[in-house]
Amino acid sequence: MLAHQLVAQYYPDFPRRRVGRIVTDTTDFMGIGYGDVMALGGRHYLVLRDEKERSFGLEDPKYWVKRCLELETGESKIVKLVFYEEFPVTLGELTIQCFRSPRKEARILQLVAGDRRFMQGRCTLDAAGNEVRILDILRGELLANTVHRLAMDHRTYCFSKLPEVLTQFGHACQAIAFLHQHGENHGDIRRDHLWIENETANLVWIDFDYTYEFHENPFGLDIFGLGNLLLYLCGKGFVTHLAMAEDLFSGNRDVVLEAGDFSALFRHRLCNLRKVYPYLPKELNDTLMHFAASSEVFYFHVAEFLEDVERGIAALRQGDWS
Amino acid sequence: MNDSKRLIVAVDGSENSWRAVEYVARILAGLPDVWVCVLSVERLPSRDRFATEEAWETACRIHRERVQEFMERCRRHLEQAGLAAETMIVPACHGPETEATACSLGTSIARDIIAFQEQGQFGTVVVGRRGVSRAEEFLFGSVTTKVTHLARNCAVWVVQ
Repeated sequence: MLAHQLVAQYYPDFPRRRVGRIVTDTTDFMGIGYGDVMALGGRHYLVLRDEKERSFGLEDPKYWVKRCLELETGESKIVKLVFYEEFPVTLGELTIQCFRSPRKEARILQLVAGDRRFMQGRCTLDAAGNEVRILDILRGELLANTVHRLAMDHRTYCFSKLPEVLTQFGHACQAIAFLHQHGENHGDIRRDHLWIENETANLVWIDFDYTYEFHENPFGLDIFGLGNLLLYLCGKGFVTHLAMAEDLFSGNRDVVLEAGDFSALFRHRLCNLRKVYPYLPKELNDTLMHFAASSEVFYFHVAEFLEDVERGIAALRQGDWS
Repeated sequence: MNDSKRLIVAVDGSENSWRAVEYVARILAGLPDVWVCVLSVERLPSRDRFATEEAWETACRIHRERVQEFMERCRRHLEQAGLAAETMIVPACHGPETEATACSLGTSIARDIIAFQEQGQFGTVVVGRRGVSRAEEFLFGSVTTKVTHLARNCAVWVVQ
């Protein structure tokens, strides 16, 4: 069947003159564009656009990630085509070598199939043997954005919302522990990759195609990512000198901050939040301080981290006694 | 305590590990009854980094050649100092064409070094030190720190 016949059958409203070709070999992903139909794993995917990475107000097109319509079902899908790359990632003062690995993401998708703590999708081979990932669209909102937007001062947030936020976050940490137990890492734990799913209100991790090679502490970067997220959630945003200067900042400004109070990697992010929010339970602050420049002890397993987070949640639930 | 004159110098092809070899050669030069094993625990590039099996196998082959060359350089340097030396590679279990029964799973090089030390009853382990920051140690882990924690019945020399 020709491309325009296929599209006419399933999506008659799509303009015929914009229908492209049927693609079975996706190796040249730059050449696959709007209106093309990819034939993958017995189904057909009408390409609508390239996905974009948005950061700092800039949009960076990801030509290997296509927003598509699965013609047979009418569902929107994200189709990730095979693109391997190696690039340096800057984390505060450190630069580490990261890899994009479709192979790794395909393996994790298989591992977490049916587990709603992770994005869902399937992997199929195209005609040239490329491991193409076909992902369900996640409808929801970033956890970090939801927390940041709550219109309340920090103290109110701390005792009314944070216990539940951290309980949910704990479930998300268990999901990462599950990956580690199976010898896998997430590889790119950050605010943009943890969503609240509209339908279930579950926290869902997305994007597993980054990886790196640390032989002595293979999950260190993931745990540091979790620590960063915890810092964000506890502070209702990162507390920096800049944030403290804002009118909306509801913490204590009249404090002496030392280098050891800040993150070991991101020297402008305050870890010692009790200095500005003295009502934050010590148990929680102690956990945050494991990620500070002054820390002598680090977490090597999610379980250790989670145990301390849970202690912090219990202290929060006891209420504001300060 | 095992025989302290049976030494392992753990190397990874880096300048730090070369310094450890040079140090041993300088300190122990000409001493009788010293036996030095230059040990490398193989760290092959991950298969996940490569699109094809062929590309991965090529990268592994190049890596292995470099390590073998480095190990030979270490052995020659020690022998020139009048020491008896051998080289030993613990192959990666997940490497192409790995057939050895004793192999490294790649989860902890420090544990592999100590397992080799215990099995061979070596009395001294020599390791180089990268001098990493606290943050780096947190993210990447430190073979040297872990070796010093795990070592029993043997001395550990850390060469800066």
